[in-house]
Amino acid sequence: MHPTGTLIWYYYICPREVWLMSRHLTPWQENPFIEIGRLISKESYQRDRKEIRLENIVIDLLKTEGENVVIGEVKKSSRFEKSARMQLAFYLWKLNHLGIEATGKLLFPREKKKITVMLTKEIEDELEEAQQKIISIVQMETPPPARRIKFCSKCGYQEFCWS
Amino acid sequence: MKRSIYIFSDGELKRKDKTLCFETKEGKKYIPVENTHEILIFGEVTINKRLLEFLTESEIILHFFNYYGYYVGSFYPREHLNSGYMILKQAEHYLDHKKRLNLAENFVSGAIENIKRVLIYYANRGKPLNETIDKINSIALSIKDCESTEELMAVEGNIRDEYYQAFDIILDSEHFVFEARTKRPPKNRLNALISFANSLVYTTVLSEIYHTHLDPRIGYLHTTNFRRFTLNLDVAEIFKPIIADRVIFNLVNKSIIKPNHFEKKLDGIVLNDKGKQLLIQHMDERLRSTIQHKRIGRHVSYRQLIRLELYKIQKHLIGEEEYRPFQSGW
Ligand code: SF4
Repeated sequence: MHPTGTLIWYYYICPREVWLMSRHLTPWQENPFIEIGRLISKESYQRDRKEIRLENIVIDLLKTEGENVVIGEVKKSSRFEKSARMQLAFYLWKLNHLGIEATGKLLFPREKKKITVMLTKEIEDELEEAQQKIISIVQMETPPPARRIKFCSKCGYQEFCWS
Repeated sequence: MKRSIYIFSDGELKRKDKTLCFETKEGKKYIPVENTHEILIFGEVTINKRLLEFLTESEIILHFFNYYGYYVGSFYPREHLNSGYMILKQAEHYLDHKKRLNLAENFVSGAIENIKRVLIYYANRGKPLNETIDKINSIALSIKDCESTEELMAVEGNIRDEYYQAFDIILDSEHFVFEARTKRPPKNRLNALISFANSLVYTTVLSEIYHTHLDPRIGYLHTTNFRRFTLNLDVAEIFKPIIADRVIFNLVNKSIIKPNHFEKKLDGIVLNDKGKQLLIQHMDERLRSTIQHKRIGRHVSYRQLIRLELYKIQKHLIGEEEYRPFQSGW
């Protein structure tokens, strides 16, 4: 099993989501927040938009700035910055394995905010550990129990978890 | 909150760019798809494939009723949520006799609990229903001895007989008497009301199942024959007393529905258009009325409550949490 960038993102928010996603128990799409997320990533940065797929990763934006390859990931808010940073770091790490040196930019169009992400030894170790954990979550017979966190109110699984 | 659309007139339902258009002799009506989750068709309506494709894209279900108000069938668009894992779990709980019986038992006991809530509600308002409640309690004792879903269905049938007899006490109306349960065709007005209201609950549950990962063809209490939808019949058992029956009692006790809303057809009695519209209107209101939900921490409508019930079933199938049917609070 190869964890995807999306699973990395969910892992840092709520491990339960990782399990549910792995069973393709996709959340109900009528949750307005999911809708907004889809629209933002569809409509922002139209100019640079070249969705790139490499193996099992999907990259929102890719440009070259001189010698540098810059990959970008569009997020609707910086509230889950840790998740976003690790997701992007994961892409950088994947590219690294393909022999491409890149830096990452996190883009929060709504907040007009950008964060640069670079691959360091610590981040690589952290990613390694996260991937191991994701694999063990996915192998669990039942999902990790629901824990109420701030994200719940915006989560597509909200009604499922708290029914 | 998305709406249900009810079509009583004759005409043609078609796609018009990004909206639906219902065209009758009198003119055109536009139905925005974003606000619609199901369409119930009672009139003579012409449709084409382009429309069905558009409905699939928009995830809208069509439910058809014939001239007499009987449910005919549904256009259930290709599943938009799909988890092979959930289907396997559903099948596993169907094929394993113990697991199936456990779920079936829950549907029956959930139905009985809510039947009792209804009776207690009216007993608290001075109706002499204690004898019925006692009888139901004693029949319900045999649920845990049932070894097959047929036996469970029989117990539930006995309880429903007692319950329906009590309708005469609750209603106390010369125009609406129960006599006996008659289905196709219903032989009197009260039976016509029950049949029609129940079929509205069945279609509502079916529409909600569409937004989950459950396959409506695999039911547990009602025998699955892989051709018909049965899971919605199972789940409807729990909600019929508190949605359909409560609406019927209100309509009759407040004299909103009257003998002139019925007509004689096919050696039976059916609701006429005005009668159907009245029942639908009040059922719709009931489904949109809300109650406080502790775990979610806000108000949810009865329609949402049905979906939450389906989520609970999913969690049971996953092996996460034993399913406990919803019990009405009053
Ligand atoms: S609702 Fe809360 S507990 Fe459930 S998956 Fe979403 S974030 Fe996790």
